[in-house]
Amino acid sequence: MRRRLFAAIVVLVALVLQVIVINRLPLPGGVVPDVVLLSVVALALVYGPLPGLVTGFCAGLIADVVPPADHTIGQYAFVFCLVGYAAGLAQTEMDRSSVMPFVAMVVGAVGGCVLYAVLGGLLGDPRITWATARHLVPLTALYDVLLSPFVLYLVFRLGRRFEPIDHDTVLTVGSRTLDRYRSR
Amino acid sequence: MRETGRTRLILALLLVVALGLITIDYRSGDDSPLNGLRTAGSAVFGPMERGTAAVARPIGDTISAISGAPAAQRRIRALEQQNQRLREQARAGQLNKEQAKQLDSMLHLAGLGRYRVVAAQVIAMRGRQGYEETVTLDAGSRDGVKPGQTVVTGDGLVGRVTTTGPSTATVLLLTDASSSVGGRLEGSQQIGVVQGTGNGGTSGRLRFEVLDSQAKLEKGQRIVSFGSHGGKPYVPGVPIGTVDRVEATPGSLTRTAVVSPFVRFTTLDVVGVVVSPPRSDPRDAVLPPKPSPSATPSGSPSATPSGSPSASPSASPSSLAASPGSGG
Repeated sequence: MRRRLFAAIVVLVALVLQVIVINRLPLPGGVVPDVVLLSVVALALVYGPLPGLVTGFCAGLIADVVPPADHTIGQYAFVFCLVGYAAGLAQTEMDRSSVMPFVAMVVGAVGGCVLYAVLGGLLGDPRITWATARHLVPLTALYDVLLSPFVLYLVFRLGRRFEPIDHDTVLTVGSRTLDRYRSR
Repeated sequence: MRETGRTRLILALLLVVALGLITIDYRSGDDSPLNGLRTAGSAVFGPMERGTAAVARPIGDTISAISGAPAAQRRIRALEQQNQRLREQARAGQLNKEQAKQLDSMLHLAGLGRYRVVAAQVIAMRGRQGYEETVTLDAGSRDGVKPGQTVVTGDGLVGRVTTTGPSTATVLLLTDASSSVGGRLEGSQQIGVVQGTGNGGTSGRLRFEVLDSQAKLEKGQRIVSFGSHGGKPYVPGVPIGTVDRVEATPGSLTRTAVVSPFVRFTTLDVVGVVVSPPRSDPRDAVLPPKPSPSATPSGSPSATPSGSPSASPSASPSSLAASPGSGG
């Protein structure tokens, strides 16, 4: 329950932050990072595939209707759902190496950008042409990668506080990973 | 293992739901049954954005004020101390005054064209990572804003309203690649289509395609909106931009020009939603006075014969509406 609450808060904060502050940043290239995508990947890395894909779907669906949205409803839901699942699969690998979360973040961020462009292209969206995608996808992915450690750190750090403390069930793998990050 | 199976099942289920939503929304276009979902999104998140924007606005303003001019880095460094001191003094007052000025010029334009506008402020914006160029305004259906209405600033055309919530509205900007507006060359009957190029943030150029391949099209000509039936989605006579360069398109049935818009889309703040269109097409009356001949690179004597380009004299019926604007 607390986890769901935490995931909901992270996604909502990321969404509002995205449309109000981040999209206005005058970054070189006229592109900004996608914080919602990053937070979905980070949450999936903490909680695993099933919560990851559900979080991704919900976050995507909200991102599809948050004003000012004017694309086909379901596009972000589809992409974030897949990305959330894929990132969740990496959760079990997290204990193997300390760079694993960062690799997963990078793969998730790049994969999300590419997938969204491909889906839009398949739907014949007049905005997504090869010329614009060729410019936007690498740059967005780059900004996402640069921002990912911070999002990851915040979600891991704050996520630990939302864990039920007096719960006597066995800790999941994700929580063990949290412990590792906590101890540093 | 059973856990994995369940996860995959739910994954498949949700992906199918997403694809279903895409299909329904995509196939039914403008009268999509999912528009209710968009309106609900506006109703829920609109107030949230409004609330947050009030807090976040000063941050964004400061950031863009500092990094807005990368070309002038050295100058910025020299002026920084002075700037800091002045900004401290001016922050609160200046912001309000700036907005008042924008509001004033917008009302002036509305007076010239006899449009009725509702003033609104930009509170949120889509980034280019989503390929859309749209903004949210803090005025919605409660203020009389409806989908399809034209959005303007004091400088010219901004875009049109696509979705409205009770207190917010989504605007598709002119620069969005899916936006197209009927345009008319100043002082002539030549009409064409103004299309966004989808890179408003960086170059901010539009494309203007003239339907007549024999049309005279040259740098410096200005374009106003042609308008649609009933003033939706675009009201007539709103200034759009200036022809920047004409593209050579041999063999093509239409002629194309690159247009730089009058509105600066990167710094949108106060805008107006035209809630009631003018009774008659204002023609070129709303265009700003022609710049002095020295400013235009190629003095074109042939531009004058058509009579109407001298904007201010022809605006005599509306000068009555214009005078309060200049007085205040």
